[in-house]
Amino acid sequence: MRKKQQVQTTGEALEKPESQIRVMWDTLKKNKAAVAGLVVILFFLFLAVMGDWLAPYDPEYSDMGHTFVAPCRDYYFGTDQLGRDIFSRVLSGTKISLFVGVAAVAYSLLIGTVLGSVAGYFGGKVDSFIMRCMDIMLSIPSILLAITLMAALGKGLDKAIIAIGTVSIPEYARIVRSSILSVKENDYVAAAKVVGNSDRRIIFHHILPNVVSSIVVRATLGISTAILDTAALGFLGMGVQPPMAEWGDMLGRARTYIFSAPYTLIFPGLAITLAVLAFNLFGDGLRDALDPKERV
Amino acid sequence: MKRKVIAALLCTSMAITLMAGCGSNKKTGADNASDTTKTETAGDEGNADADAETETGTTEKKASGEMLTKFADVPEDVDKEQTLRYAQGADPRGLDPAMIDDGESSKPICQMYEGLLKYGDSDTEVEPCLAESWEISEDGLTYTFKLREGVKFHDGTDFNAEAVKYNVDRQTVNKTEDMLYADFVYGDVAECNVVDEYTVEFKLTKKSTPFLNNLAMSLGAPMVSPTACDAANGNLNEAPCGTGPYKFVRWDKNEAVVMERNEDYWGDKGVAKEIIFSTIPDNSARVVALTNGEVDIIDGIDATVVDQITSAGCLLYQAEGMNINYMAYNTQKVTDPDVRKALSEAVNIPELVDSLYKGYASQATSILPTFMPGYSADVKQTAYNPDDAKKILEEKGITELKMMAYTNPRPYNTATGQTLAEALQGYFDKVGVKVSIDSYDWTTYKEKLGAGDYDMCLYGWIGDNGDPDNFMYLLAHEDPEMNVALYRNEEYNTMLSEAASMENGDDRNAAYAKMEQKIADENIWLPISHQQNLSGYVSNVQNFIAHPTGNVFLSKTYKN
Repeated sequence: MRKKQQVQTTGEALEKPESQIRVMWDTLKKNKAAVAGLVVILFFLFLAVMGDWLAPYDPEYSDMGHTFVAPCRDYYFGTDQLGRDIFSRVLSGTKISLFVGVAAVAYSLLIGTVLGSVAGYFGGKVDSFIMRCMDIMLSIPSILLAITLMAALGKGLDKAIIAIGTVSIPEYARIVRSSILSVKENDYVAAAKVVGNSDRRIIFHHILPNVVSSIVVRATLGISTAILDTAALGFLGMGVQPPMAEWGDMLGRARTYIFSAPYTLIFPGLAITLAVLAFNLFGDGLRDALDPKERV
Repeated sequence: MKRKVIAALLCTSMAITLMAGCGSNKKTGADNASDTTKTETAGDEGNADADAETETGTTEKKASGEMLTKFADVPEDVDKEQTLRYAQGADPRGLDPAMIDDGESSKPICQMYEGLLKYGDSDTEVEPCLAESWEISEDGLTYTFKLREGVKFHDGTDFNAEAVKYNVDRQTVNKTEDMLYADFVYGDVAECNVVDEYTVEFKLTKKSTPFLNNLAMSLGAPMVSPTACDAANGNLNEAPCGTGPYKFVRWDKNEAVVMERNEDYWGDKGVAKEIIFSTIPDNSARVVALTNGEVDIIDGIDATVVDQITSAGCLLYQAEGMNINYMAYNTQKVTDPDVRKALSEAVNIPELVDSLYKGYASQATSILPTFMPGYSADVKQTAYNPDDAKKILEEKGITELKMMAYTNPRPYNTATGQTLAEALQGYFDKVGVKVSIDSYDWTTYKEKLGAGDYDMCLYGWIGDNGDPDNFMYLLAHEDPEMNVALYRNEEYNTMLSEAASMENGDDRNAAYAKMEQKIADENIWLPISHQQNLSGYVSNVQNFIAHPTGNVFLSKTYKN
């Protein structure tokens, strides 16, 4: 049955590309974990958009008269060491984490794709040069590289995006390059060349559309890594400028109170876990749906 | 790639086990506690009222421990082979008393070095130490010290008048930039002369009341071995050598300073064979180390963990601390006194202190702690008035400022500099001033301070000698790492040197009160709190005193 579906997918993809999405959706629907992941992602997206409106308090307003209030009716998740409402802060953190996650991935995707395409398409010295640079970057532990970049750039969301995005450029470059290497030998690419298309046109119109699926899968999984990296930077006190609410930063600050006020730590921690898990589940489901060959 | 999912699930389960683990941990802690309490009570006085049922009551009763003011005699039968482990929040900056200026360095130094004089066990009255007696001339300008005979440094060098002269000259005529305490201790010394082998004479440039107290300080004043110092090119930070009851063994950077008993010590030899000062920067990790029994004594306790310490059966040493926790305005950048006043008005100090330190620190109404000479209840600090603050700051167009803070806990600010900075940021935000915070770990922070790139910064001071001059001199100091407000005021400096030469008494105290008021009126500092000295120790630790200077003298401390 699997085989049949595979044949079907390839067959349809050749005729009508838009129905590929339908097939993908059908496969995805069958994967319960992926659907759950998608639901959680949509929920987080909703919170990110509506968070400010839903939050009962200003997430940055500190009320030193009400510090360490345990979760109760007034403060659903309690208050932190500076009397800020943790519920509002977790909500506000959703926006930041998702934004940094998506923006960092977009940034690395853009640069990684360009570098990977150029390397894969032209080959030779250009390829060697670009890919050796990527290898060098890959040889440094990613979080260490991110920390170093943050230390050099200074605190701030924009800098966090650059730092986290930069460290994952090599991954995208590699994926795109290998996909292009396998696609560019196809006859239609040769045909396009013969017809006299420019390199740019061939890359963007004939090659890249065929490697989109693997990039999308990687990007979805990449968001979860980016969220984790954001949290890690925040935890180390290098992410955002206080008093901005960021999950990792909240976690890092609350660490001291793990025994006396565990709720200051549990809720941002849960939020990180949930978001990362959701993106991972959805990403895996997407991979199964988009790339039937890899399901074996 | 199911691996990712599995990894995520594993993480979650790990987090859950961790929490469960904490729960059970606590339980064991409590169990241990009741055990130790029981044996202790039974062994000590033979009291039989500590049965299992009353364990909570007993623990509570014992929780604050007995606050010794004098070291008791050490019993004969005590284990002399034991190792005493002390954990503090930061690594020493160095182990040469002339080169350092912080409490974390000072604590190990107190075990290895001694000065001419020392303080009482729990006060700052001076007592003889390496000097057996002293005389002060009529005009108060000449001090003659009779030295103790037969004392040797750890490297075998004799301690004599020449050694004293070497030490004083080192920090006066041969002074180098990095001797941060040289001016504090020997600033008024004109010359130091050897009279005979065991007599030494100091000539002062002016009358100085704090001079004797200065000579008992743990920074600057302790005597180092001249031979060792020359051999180490004048810097003993890595190879300390003094006359103290403990000898240096090794220093694993950011881990621990290890020292062993000096068997040739001239006085009562240390009880423990070995003392280890370990560095555990994280507050909660330090507490866990104590409750797990990895270390015997810890300091830098934050109010939020007091319950955790006492419920694990450990005891708390709680005493008034001779310190001040403050925020300083960079007077070279925030030059307008009205702006400084408005900023000070924005902060609700009583609320801040209550909520950050939970009653383990008192609100600072002056720079000097209440029990020190020179303290005056009449000093008026800028009162909380957010409306006025908002109005003035709006008029002056102040919307953005830059604050520098340290990330770790300090003895005068157990809640960490970062937390305090964010709390202050919250108050400034309410009066319309956005404050950005640059925070660094303590060592980096001190270096960054020197550059002066801040509008305000957090700092603190632990009194070294019980004399008001020791606190008030900070505002006249030329070193930007000391005088972080970069306050330069001739009038103040004159007042300070006049007060330093006055005899102890009401007049002198009034002079300091006047200086306090001047600083308060000009809003140079925003005094925040005086932290209590909180140390936690395992219940079998005996004879432990935390000195008001923030130091500990562990040679008589032991475990049963």
